[in-house]
Amino acid sequence: MRATGQLQNLQGNHACAMGAIAAGCRFFAGYPITPSSEIAEKMSLELPKVDGIFIQMEDEIASMGAILGASMGGSKAMTATSGPGFSLKQENLGYAAGAEIPCVVVNVMRGGPSTGLPTRPAQGDIMQARWGTHGDHGVIVLAPCSVKEIYQEMIRAFWLTETLRVPVVVIYDEVIGHLVETVELPSPQSIEQAERKWASGPSAEFLPYQKTKDMVPAMARPGDGYRAHTTGLTTSESGFPTQDPGQVEAMVTRRLGKLEHHAADIASYEEIDCKDAKIILVTVGISARAAARAQQQARDKGLKVGLFRPITLWPFPVVAFRAASKKATHIIVPEMNAGQLILEIERLMSAKQTAVGINRIDGEVIDPVAILEKIEEISRA
Amino acid sequence: MQDYEIRFSGSGGQGLQLSAKILAYALNLADKRIAQSQSYEPTSRGGLSRSDLVVSEGVAVYPLVTSLDYLVVLDQSALDISLPLLKEQSIVIADTRHVPEPPSGDFSVYHLPLSETALKLGNERVANIITLGALISLGDICSYGFLEEAVRAMVPGKFLTLNLEALGCGYSMAEGKDIPESAVAG
Repeated sequence: MRATGQLQNLQGNHACAMGAIAAGCRFFAGYPITPSSEIAEKMSLELPKVDGIFIQMEDEIASMGAILGASMGGSKAMTATSGPGFSLKQENLGYAAGAEIPCVVVNVMRGGPSTGLPTRPAQGDIMQARWGTHGDHGVIVLAPCSVKEIYQEMIRAFWLTETLRVPVVVIYDEVIGHLVETVELPSPQSIEQAERKWASGPSAEFLPYQKTKDMVPAMARPGDGYRAHTTGLTTSESGFPTQDPGQVEAMVTRRLGKLEHHAADIASYEEIDCKDAKIILVTVGISARAAARAQQQARDKGLKVGLFRPITLWPFPVVAFRAASKKATHIIVPEMNAGQLILEIERLMSAKQTAVGINRIDGEVIDPVAILEKIEEISRA
Repeated sequence: MQDYEIRFSGSGGQGLQLSAKILAYALNLADKRIAQSQSYEPTSRGGLSRSDLVVSEGVAVYPLVTSLDYLVVLDQSALDISLPLLKEQSIVIADTRHVPEPPSGDFSVYHLPLSETALKLGNERVANIITLGALISLGDICSYGFLEEAVRAMVPGKFLTLNLEALGCGYSMAEGKDIPESAVAG
């Protein structure tokens, strides 16, 4: 491997592992699954070099449990999987959301449901990433669309999960995961390491889920002498279970409000030529790369087309999307599923706007030509 | 320079992924950026195999191939799937032994004894390197020097001499001259 700061050809899944390590991840537990296996493979090779721990667990449920334990022990921890494994991780992902345990879960999307199409790309987990676990819960989902962006978003994933105590899911499709692109990576020393908000002050007064101004409770660092209790049950600020309606409501409200309070730090998106656009393309992953090409070609033909690409997919960057699409009459949503992201767009757009889907559910990508044809069809009408 | 697209296709085990990796390395030396994708199926040997490169100055807007500038075919069964991606300026390189029926159309076809030459060099497995030599000789892709440097960097030491010889043979073959006696006669 060549040193950082030089051009190198890197695979998306390898960039994922390297970004995680650069962000300070020192614990990986996983159960390798196509098309995410290269992440586990790379972690198994690289983590020991930085005194990190790699464990191949007996299944995805155990992997998720292991990273939560490691995180509570003070490690920056992650796992990586694909659809079938992501389904299995949902229970403990909910535990992480409820008990506010920092963790990063990567899902490299393949065709589903069930074992589906192991080697073929899809974008069918967009809604599962948001709503996969039960109950009212907050989760942050990041959706990079290039090798370099996978590296950058892994760093941001650890930053967000560590500082906000919210589980972060990073999703991208098989094409982006296995794509090799020439990148120039920053030196690991230049990457600022996220630091958790650790408990300080008198231990007798410590409340593990205390409501604070920034909505993020301080965490007890093992060995620092603070008493903390962790459970999947809904707790009061003490960390012990409660069914008191007032305390329950306060706890759930704070956990959800935490994301709203930090919305500006969480939101991330790319916007190209949206200001005067009559048609806006909204999409992620490899479909966003195709849309970018179609958008350029449409502009070359004099058509007023823009691209709005959520990098933080959930919570969806609502304010930015509404501002970017002000002049648009049509929003086109290309996605490799039967129509998921379009549901959020329909929820957000004005009554005067029309949402149009371009969908593929056959294990193949949406190519730029299909998007350009739809743009031209709408422009002619 | 405009982006251009290269496809290496054949059957699994012919070393096409390595060809693409070596060329990608050479292109980096020439300060070019690549996006490399490959067919990804649950087979390791036999079956169709391909590796695609999109070459650009900056990051490719769309990283997958849509219209090939160069197509390498080392197996007849790999040909049909790529035909719709050819255009008038396309250069097609097909192996004489494994592609007995090369395509014809509004593009340039070079039907070259790639695997035959490899056999004469003593190892059919270097057909992929011979192909690389022929490719850069026919196309305006990168210099021979960069490609040689890439081969030196990526091929294991004990096979280096053979691979460098293969690279030279491929280059000369496409130039239509100086194919070594050892590779032609036999």
